[in-house]
Amino acid sequence: MNWKRYQNELIAFFAFIFMISSFFYKQHHIHMAKNTLQEEIQSLNDLKELIALKKVWADKKTTKKIEKLKILVPPSKVIWRKEGKKVKASFKNLTATELNKVVSKTLNTAVIIEKFNIELLDKSYNLELKCKW
Amino acid sequence: MENTKALVLVHSNMNATDITAPVDIILTPEFYTVKRESLPVQYTYQAKRIASSLFNGLLESTEGYEYFVSKDDDKWLFIAYNMEEIKKFLISKNINIEYISKVYFAEQMVESFNVPIVLDDKKALVNLNGTAVVVPLTALKDERTVSTVKKHNRPKSGISIGTSNSFLTTKQSLYLSLFFILFSFMFIIEGSRYGEDSHIIKKEMNLLLEKYPALQSTYTRKNISKKYKNIDQKERKKRNLVKIFSTMIFKGVKLVSLEMDNKKFHVVFACEDASIVKKLKELAQKEKFHVVLPVEKNNLQIEGVL
Repeated sequence: MNWKRYQNELIAFFAFIFMISSFFYKQHHIHMAKNTLQEEIQSLNDLKELIALKKVWADKKTTKKIEKLKILVPPSKVIWRKEGKKVKASFKNLTATELNKVVSKTLNTAVIIEKFNIELLDKSYNLELKCKW
Repeated sequence: MENTKALVLVHSNMNATDITAPVDIILTPEFYTVKRESLPVQYTYQAKRIASSLFNGLLESTEGYEYFVSKDDDKWLFIAYNMEEIKKFLISKNINIEYISKVYFAEQMVESFNVPIVLDDKKALVNLNGTAVVVPLTALKDERTVSTVKKHNRPKSGISIGTSNSFLTTKQSLYLSLFFILFSFMFIIEGSRYGEDSHIIKKEMNLLLEKYPALQSTYTRKNISKKYKNIDQKERKKRNLVKIFSTMIFKGVKLVSLEMDNKKFHVVFACEDASIVKKLKELAQKEKFHVVLPVEKNNLQIEGVL
């Protein structure tokens, strides 16, 4: 058989084979991406999430931030006991505004709330707070 | 590599030939018209462009003619031929054109005919003043003649007989190939990008791990992550509860007490009248809180676990 007679078909055929090979090359990478790339993306996202969580819940500035609770109300209304990274605070005779300030500040600080008791006595509030970080 | 294919001299009076292997053929001047010209052009493609105009008046009609152009010392050699006519002739001589690899013109190897080649009992092919011509055998008188062309005298360039058996024309084949190649490159680039993605992710991961060396180990990462996720989930829940309770305090509602620890919560609201209790209860149920029977009238108690 004289192949030269069919050189046009052969050229198109080899170009077609090249295209098919390239297609499988792409598919191979997509397959790899599905298996490994997704895992890598997941690992990276997990790591980013962990770093973000650590930044929030292991923030070195938390001690300073929690100390600010004391100055939100007059000192006579607070009994403050701090041991390392734990605080027991007792707020007495708080007005609604003062209570709002303390509650809001506490909730916006990244501490683990172990006890959070609010009690209405006549027109004032008492707040018992126990937290750690 | 030397071309070892047989060289067949094709002339008008040749006998039918059975060809079963690829061959090259030489066409005698009966199949073409030749012209030599000195032209101020440098490249073959330029000469080819003007080839048809050179044969105006020389050919009855230029329709169906193709042109072969080559440089011949300081002149250009132009050969006009009708491939369809040539093919018809070859087929009439039982020559399978599939087996024809290259077609040469006698004019290209004119010096090979310094010694005339006998074509049949009447004609011979001879170099006459630098042009290959077919002459009557009687005109040669007693000149020495040969009957075959030497294989090594094959010209450097020739033409292809055309792809009559092809399903595709050269143009179609070219466009189709370009189309396939274009898609191939698209696939390759796309495929490579997936690889690049992986590379970028690894690089970003390494940068983060360099910044936080304590998190190098997967095991450590899992443990720390578990710890902080638990804290985050629980603390967010606590804060969200307080936020919901604060939205439940509206006109006619007072917070009596709120108790919350790591496991449970308990809240008591005092309402002005039964209608407000009802409204508050609806709100609590909407938030899917567990409402317990009040100790006092117009009070509402909610409790639950974290």
